[in-house]
Amino acid sequence: MNLAIQIVIGGLLQGAVFAVIALGFSLVFRVTGVLNLSQGAFCVVGALVMYTIEVSWGWPTPVAAVAASLATAAFGLALGALCFVPAVPRLPTSSMLILTAGLLTLLQGVLLIGWSSQPYALPPFSGEAPVVLWGVRVPTQGFWIAGITVAVVVAMWFVVQRTTLGTALRACAENRVAARLMGIDVPRMTLLSFGMAVLIAAISGIAVAPITSLEFDTGGFFTNFGFIAVAIGGLGSFLGSVAGGLFLGVAEQLAAGYVSSLFANALALALLLMVLLWRPNGLFGGGAVRRTDVRDEQRIYHAIVRVQGRGGLVFAAAAVALVLVLPLLFPSAGILSSLVITGILYISVLGLDVLMGYAGQVSLGQAGFMAIGGYTASILAVTYGVSPLWGTVAGIVLSVAAAWVLSFVTLRLRGHYLALATLAFGLLIDSLTVGMVDTTGGPSGLAGIPAFSVGSIVFASPIAMYYLVVGIIIVLVLALYGAMRSGFGRALIAVRTDQTAAVALGVNVVRYKLAAFLISAALGSLSGSLYAFYFHFLAPEMVATPRSFEMIAMLVAGGEGTLVGSALGVALLTLLPTVFQPFALYKTLAEGLLLVLCFMWLPEGIFGFATVQLARWLRRGAPPATAAEKAMP
Amino acid sequence: MLELTCVSTGYETANVIHDIDLTVAPGEIVALVGANGAGKSTLVKTISGLLALRAGTITLDGKRIDGLNARARVLAGVSLVPEGRQIFGGLTVLDNLRLGAYARRKDLDDARMKQRIDHVCERFPVLLQRLKEPAGNLSGGQQQMLAIARGLMAEPRILVLDEPSLGLAPVLVTEIFRLVASLRSEGRAILLSEQNARLSLAIADRGYVIENGRVTLAGTGKELLHNPEVAERYLGVGKGVNVADASHHQQMVDRLKEILAR
Repeated sequence: MNLAIQIVIGGLLQGAVFAVIALGFSLVFRVTGVLNLSQGAFCVVGALVMYTIEVSWGWPTPVAAVAASLATAAFGLALGALCFVPAVPRLPTSSMLILTAGLLTLLQGVLLIGWSSQPYALPPFSGEAPVVLWGVRVPTQGFWIAGITVAVVVAMWFVVQRTTLGTALRACAENRVAARLMGIDVPRMTLLSFGMAVLIAAISGIAVAPITSLEFDTGGFFTNFGFIAVAIGGLGSFLGSVAGGLFLGVAEQLAAGYVSSLFANALALALLLMVLLWRPNGLFGGGAVRRTDVRDEQRIYHAIVRVQGRGGLVFAAAAVALVLVLPLLFPSAGILSSLVITGILYISVLGLDVLMGYAGQVSLGQAGFMAIGGYTASILAVTYGVSPLWGTVAGIVLSVAAAWVLSFVTLRLRGHYLALATLAFGLLIDSLTVGMVDTTGGPSGLAGIPAFSVGSIVFASPIAMYYLVVGIIIVLVLALYGAMRSGFGRALIAVRTDQTAAVALGVNVVRYKLAAFLISAALGSLSGSLYAFYFHFLAPEMVATPRSFEMIAMLVAGGEGTLVGSALGVALLTLLPTVFQPFALYKTLAEGLLLVLCFMWLPEGIFGFATVQLARWLRRGAPPATAAEKAMP
Repeated sequence: MLELTCVSTGYETANVIHDIDLTVAPGEIVALVGANGAGKSTLVKTISGLLALRAGTITLDGKRIDGLNARARVLAGVSLVPEGRQIFGGLTVLDNLRLGAYARRKDLDDARMKQRIDHVCERFPVLLQRLKEPAGNLSGGQQQMLAIARGLMAEPRILVLDEPSLGLAPVLVTEIFRLVASLRSEGRAILLSEQNARLSLAIADRGYVIENGRVTLAGTGKELLHNPEVAERYLGVGKGVNVADASHHQQMVDRLKEILAR
C-alpha cells in the first residue's frame, strides 16, 4: 500500500510538469490556434539558465529562480517576436506546427552549444531530506512543485477568465479580424500569449529540475508528454490540460512501477491513440476546433514549380550525370560515405514528399517506418540468416501493414490531431526499439548486420552501395514522376488543395490519402533497411523521432512537392557536417534555423527558388507562366 | 463630418475603388447602394482601417484619419459593424459588449462600463436578458443586434454598417432597419452599405450608387428611390415602368414609413 502511495505521489509530481506544459499548449492554442511544439524546450532553457545562475555564479536560490524565469521569458519574447508572431497570419496552421517543431530543434541546438550534451540536476530548493507524512516519504521538492503548479494554474485562470486582458486574448482566438476592429492589437496579444507560455514553462522547468536530470534534448521529451497530456485532456481547455497531465503522470508511474518503463511509455502512447480515435476533443472536452487536415492556402502554388519542356530535360540529364560522377570528383572516404547516407535518407524523404508535398498531410513519424524497416531486415538477417533482400521486403510489408493499421486512426483525424497521431506512432516505435532489449539490442544497438546483397552480388564497398542507391533512386523518381503526372498525382493535389471540392468532384479522398501514406511508409522502410545494411549497425537514435523532424527540415529546405528538390535539403544537412567538422556541434541549431528560415522566407525551398529563377532565365522575353501551367507537373 | 476625397484602393494587383468622393454629415444616414462586387465592402474596410489607402484622403471632422490603424480610428470615432456580424461566439454577450469599448477601456471604470452597457442596451433589451450567455447561442437577428450594440460601445461619431440585413429573415430585416434609423437620433452619423437598396434608401437621407468601384449617382434617398435607373438595377422594377407612379412601390415605402414611425 505504502509503495502504491509512493508511486502515486511520484506520478502526481511528474504529472504536474506535464500539466503545466499542457497548460502552455492550451494558452497559445486558444489565442492563436497554433500548437506550439517548442513549449517543452523552454522548460529546459529555464532550468539550465537557473543552473548557470545558481550553481556556477552562486546566486541565492530565490533570486536565481526569478532571474532565470525572467531571462528565459525575455529570450522567448524575442524569439516569438522574430519568428512566431510574423508567421501566424502568413502560414496555415499545419505549417505553423512544423515551424514550431523547427523552433524546438533550434532551441535544442542553442542548448547543445551553450551547455554541451551532459546531464544537469539542480539542488532541491529546501534540502535533500524527505518529509515523512503518515509513513510515506515525500521529497520536499514535491511540495514546491505542487505549490508552484497550483499557483501557475490559478494565476493563469485568473488572467484569462477574469481580466480585460484575458477577454482580449480570448477575442483574438475567436476572430482575429473582429478583434482588430475592436482596437485590440492582435500581434501583441499573440506575442503576449507566447511569452506567458514561455514564462510558465521556464518556471515549471526550474521547479522540476531538482528531481529530474536535464539534457539539451530533454525538451523534446517534455513537449511529447505535454502534448499527450493536452490531447488526453482536451486542447484549449485549461482544466482538461491539468487533469490530463496529472492523469498521464500517475498512469505512467504506476505502469512503470508495477510492469516496466517500456510498458509505461507504450501505455501512454496507446492511451493517446485511443483518445484520438474515440474522443478527439479530449476526455475533458477541449475548446479545440477541428480544422482541415491538409496544408492549404497559398503555399501550394509556390511549391509546385518546374522548368518546362526541353530546358527541364537538359537539366535533369545534367543532374543525373553529375550524380553518377560525384564519387569520382570526391574520392575522400568521408565524403563518399556522406553521399551514400544522403542517398539513403533521400529515399525516405521522397516518401515524405508524396505524403506532405503532394497529399498535404503532416507526418511527424516518418522515422518510425525507417525503424520498422531497419530493425526487421537486420533482425531477420542477424538472428535468422534471412537474405538482406527478403529482409528488406519483409520490412516493407510490415511497415505498410503498420501504416494501414495506423491509418484507421489517422484517416479519421484532421489537422493537429493527424500530426499528433503520427508523432505518437513515432514515439511508440522509439520506446519499442529502446525497450525490447532482447530483440533489438536496446539502447546499445544491434551490431554485426551484413552488407546488402542480391543473390551472390554483395554491395560491400561504399562505392558499390552508392551506385545501388543511385539506381534505386532513379527508378523511384521516374516511377513517382510518372505517377504524379497521372490522374493519381492530380487527385493528390486536389486533396491537398481543397478536400471538400475534391470529394465533390468524385475523388475518393480516403483512398488517395491512404495510398500516399502507404507509399511514404514503404519508402521510409526501404530507406531504413538500406541504412542498417550500410552501417552494419543499428541503434535506436539513428531512426528515432528527431530523425523525423530532421527529414521534415530537409524536405522543406529542399522544396516540397518537387520530388527531386528535397535531395538538395538532404545533401545540405548531411554533407555540411562532414565537410566542416566543427559544424557537427551546430548541426541541430542549423536544422532548426533552416526550417524556421525556409518557412518564413523561402517557402518554395532551395529547389523551388532555383527553378523559378532558372525558368525565368530560360524564358526571357516569353510571357510569364500562368498558374495552370505552373501546376502542371 | 466624414469626408472622402479621391479615394482609390484595392487588393494586391487589382484596383477596386477609383477616385471616390463621399461625405457624411453629423446626424445623417448615408446609404451605399451597389451590386455584389461593386466595391461597397472594400470602401467600408478602407474607412475603418482594415485596408490601406492607395490614393486620396479620409478626414473626420477635418482631421486626417487615413494614416491611422484600426485601433486609432476607433478612438477617433469610427466604428464598423462588419459584414457577417463577426461576433465572438465563444465569449459571453457581456464580454462582447465590453470588448466593443476595449479601445477606450482606460476611461472606463467598472461603474461607467456598466452605465454604458445599460445605456447602449436600452435599444436592445433582449441582450440585457442574455448577458451571461455565450454570444454564439443568440439567434441571427439577436447576433446582428449584438454586433450593432458592440459597435456603439465605443461611442462612435460615425457608425459604419456593412450588410446588416445579410442572412436575416424579412421580418427581422425591417426590425434591424427600424433600429438603424433610430440610432441617428443622438446626432450620430451612419454609413450604411447594403444590398437591399429599397430599405436602405427609404431610411437614408442621402445615398451613393457605386458601380465598378466608382460613384455613378448621388442624391437624396428619395431622389435615388425614384430614379428609373436605380429602380431598374437595384429595386427590381422592370424597364418602362414609371417608378414614380408605380403604386406597389409607393405602398412598400409607405408601409416601411409606417413601421419606422411606430
